[in-house]
Amino acid sequence: MRRGEKPQFLAFNGLVKRYGRRIAVDNLSLNLQPGEVFGFLGPNGAGKTSTIRMLCGLTRSSAGNGTVLGFDIWNDRFEIRSRLGYVPQQFSLYADLTILENLWFFASVYGVPKQSADCRIQALLAQLDLFPYRRVRAGHLSGGFKQLLAIGSAILHKPALLVLDEPTSGLDPCNRQTIWNLLYELSQEGTTVFVTTHNMDEADRCTRVGFLYSGKLLAIGSPAQLKERLVNQILDFEVDPLIAAQSSMRDLPGVFGTRLRSGKIRLLADDPRNLIAELRQHWPFPALAWHAYEFGVPDMDDVFEAFRCGILAAKLESTEV
Amino acid sequence: MKFLVGKRAFIAVALKELLHLWRDRRILMLVIFLPPVFTLLLGHAFEEGPLRNVPAILLDQDHSAASQKFSALLRSSEVFNLQPVTVGAGSQIELSANNLTAAVIIPRGWEKGLHNGDPIPLDLVLDGADANTAPEIQGAVQAILGEYQSKALESMIDSLPDEVFDLGRQLPVSVRKDFSSSMSPWGVKASILYNPDLKFIHFVMPGIVGLILQLFTVTLTACSICRERESGTLTQLQVTPIHKSAIIIGKVLPYLGIALCVEAMLFFLGQEHFHVAFRSPILLFGLSFVFLLSTSGLGAFVSSFSRTQTQAIQYSVFFLLPVFLLSGAFAPISQLPLGVRIFSYAFPLTYFCHACREINLYGGGIARVIWDFVLLSLSALLTCSIAAYRLRAVEV
Repeated sequence: MRRGEKPQFLAFNGLVKRYGRRIAVDNLSLNLQPGEVFGFLGPNGAGKTSTIRMLCGLTRSSAGNGTVLGFDIWNDRFEIRSRLGYVPQQFSLYADLTILENLWFFASVYGVPKQSADCRIQALLAQLDLFPYRRVRAGHLSGGFKQLLAIGSAILHKPALLVLDEPTSGLDPCNRQTIWNLLYELSQEGTTVFVTTHNMDEADRCTRVGFLYSGKLLAIGSPAQLKERLVNQILDFEVDPLIAAQSSMRDLPGVFGTRLRSGKIRLLADDPRNLIAELRQHWPFPALAWHAYEFGVPDMDDVFEAFRCGILAAKLESTEV
Repeated sequence: MKFLVGKRAFIAVALKELLHLWRDRRILMLVIFLPPVFTLLLGHAFEEGPLRNVPAILLDQDHSAASQKFSALLRSSEVFNLQPVTVGAGSQIELSANNLTAAVIIPRGWEKGLHNGDPIPLDLVLDGADANTAPEIQGAVQAILGEYQSKALESMIDSLPDEVFDLGRQLPVSVRKDFSSSMSPWGVKASILYNPDLKFIHFVMPGIVGLILQLFTVTLTACSICRERESGTLTQLQVTPIHKSAIIIGKVLPYLGIALCVEAMLFFLGQEHFHVAFRSPILLFGLSFVFLLSTSGLGAFVSSFSRTQTQAIQYSVFFLLPVFLLSGAFAPISQLPLGVRIFSYAFPLTYFCHACREINLYGGGIARVIWDFVLLSLSALLTCSIAAYRLRAVEV
C-alpha cells in the first residue's frame, strides 16, 4: 500500500488455496468497498467456501495474502474475528438451546458487554421478528427462522463485515425476500456484506458480483455490467414442439446451450447474426416449426451459463489483450 | 480486557455445556444414577473377605470313627458348602458336571493308616480353572486337617499311661523341652496392619470409584467436543474471538465439577454402606481434582483426533479397556511383570489408585503422594494443551 492511499476495506492479493494437488482457489485478487453487498458467484466446487474459510481465518492460504480493514486475514485473524460475522452454509447453532440462549451465548463469546448485550438482543429479536419465538429451541424452528437466527447470532457484535455462505439455499421465496431485506438493512447501517450464492436471481440483487469458476475469478462488476456483455448474444426462438427443440437445437454449431424460458427457446450463440442467416438458408430440423425469433434481454442466468460455457471468459481474455 | 473476554467466554461455554446436559435428560440420569449403582454392584462383587461356601462333596470311603470326626470338622467350617451328590465308588469324579469346585475324599483305610503309624494322605480333587481359588481351598483343607491333628494329639497325650510320663522324667531337661515343643503345633501370630478385616473392598474401592469417574469424564468430554464438530458449531465458535484454550477449559470444567460431586457421593456411599474409611478429605479432594482434570483432559485429547462422536466413543473404549486391568484397580500392579507394568504408568487411574490407597489405607500425608499429584497435574496440562492446539488442526 502506497503512503497516503486509503486502505481498502477488503483486499485479496493473489490468494491461492491448495488441498494436496488440487487447487481450490487460484490466484484470487479482489477489492471491496465498505457498505457493498458483494455477491460471490460460482457453481458448486468453484472455491467459494474455501475463499470464505481463508477470509474467516479458519484455514491459511497456500500463497498470497489478504486484508480486512488493514488486518492480515491470517496473522491478525483474532482482530478480524471481533469485526466479522460468519453465517455458514449449514445451520450451525445449538439446536437444543432456545433462540434467547443461543443469542446470549454468542453475545458472551463475542465479548459484547452485558448491559449492551441485553439491548442488542431485544433489538435483534424485534428486527428479525423472532420475539414471539424467543423461548423456542432452535432445532424446532422452520428453515427461514433458523437462518434468521443464524444471521442474528452473527451480527450481535455489529460486525463491519458479514460473510454469508449460501444463506438462502433451501428457503422459499418469501423467506428469501426477508433475508435479502435484512441484508439491505445491514448494508444501509454500514455493514459490508459478502454473500455467496449460485442462485442467479439473487446475484442480481447484489451491488457487485464476482464470478468464480474452477478457483479462478473470471469477472467482477455490477450485475448490469456483466449482463451488458451478453447483449446481442442471446436469441429467443419460438418453435414447436418446445421440448424436442430444446435438445435438437443444442447441437447447432456455435451454440452454447439452450434453455426453455417463458415458452421460448433461449440460445446463447457465438455469432447470433450469422446463425440466423444460416438457419434462414437451411432449417435443419424438419420436425420443428420455426415461427419467430428475437434478441433476448440477458439476465444473470445467462451470465452464469455464459461463464459456465467459457465464452464470456474467452471474450474477456480477448478484450484484455 | 482481553483476558476478561476470555474468562467470560469460557464461563459462557461451561454454562452452555450444563444447559446441554440439563436438556439431555437421559445422559443426566446416567450420570447421576449409574455411578452409585455400579459402585454397589462392583463393591459387593469384590467385598469378599476369606473364602466361603465353596460347593464341594465329601466322600467318606473309610466309614470309620476318625473319618466321621474329620467330616464333622469339615462341616462345621464355613469354607465348604457340601452338596448331597453321590458318586459311585471307583468312578471318575465329574466336578463341572455337578457344579462342584472341590471334592474331598477320605480314602478307605485312612483311620487304619493313622493307627498303624503310616498315615495315608487325604484325596482332594480341585477345579483348577480359577487359578486363585484352587490353592486357597487346598490351604483351607490343610488347615482343617491341622486342627484335627492337634486335637488327636491332645487326646493321645491324655490317654498315655503314667509310666510314659515317669519314664520321660528320667530324660534330661533339654531333651524333654525339645520333645514337648516338637509335639505342640508351631504357629504364626499375624498382626494385620492397614486392612485388619482383610476385606478386599478397602483395597478395591478407589479402583471402582476411579474407573467409573474416568469412564464418564473421558467419554462425556470427548463427545461434547465432537458433537460440536459434527454439528458445525465448532466452526461457528472458531470464527468468534474466543480462544481455543477457553473452549477446552469451558468444556472440561463442567464435567470436572459434576464428576467431583459424583465422587463425593460415591465416597459417602462407600463409607456408609461398605464401611470404607476415607481419611484426609482435603487431600482426597485435591487428588480427585487433579485426577479428574487429567481424565477430562484425556477426553479432550481423544476428541482432537476423532471427527464424530462415534469415533470418540470407539477410541475411548479402546483406551479404557487396558486401564481396567493394568491400572491396579483390582490387583496391585506390583504383581504385573515389569514389561507390562511400564504401560500401567501411562494411565491416570494408576496414580489415583496408588495415592488413594496411600491416603486411606496407610494414612499417608502429602509427602507420600506428592509424585502422584505432580504427574497427574502434568498429564492434565499436557492433554488439555494438545487438545487446545489440535482443536484447530482437525477441520470439518
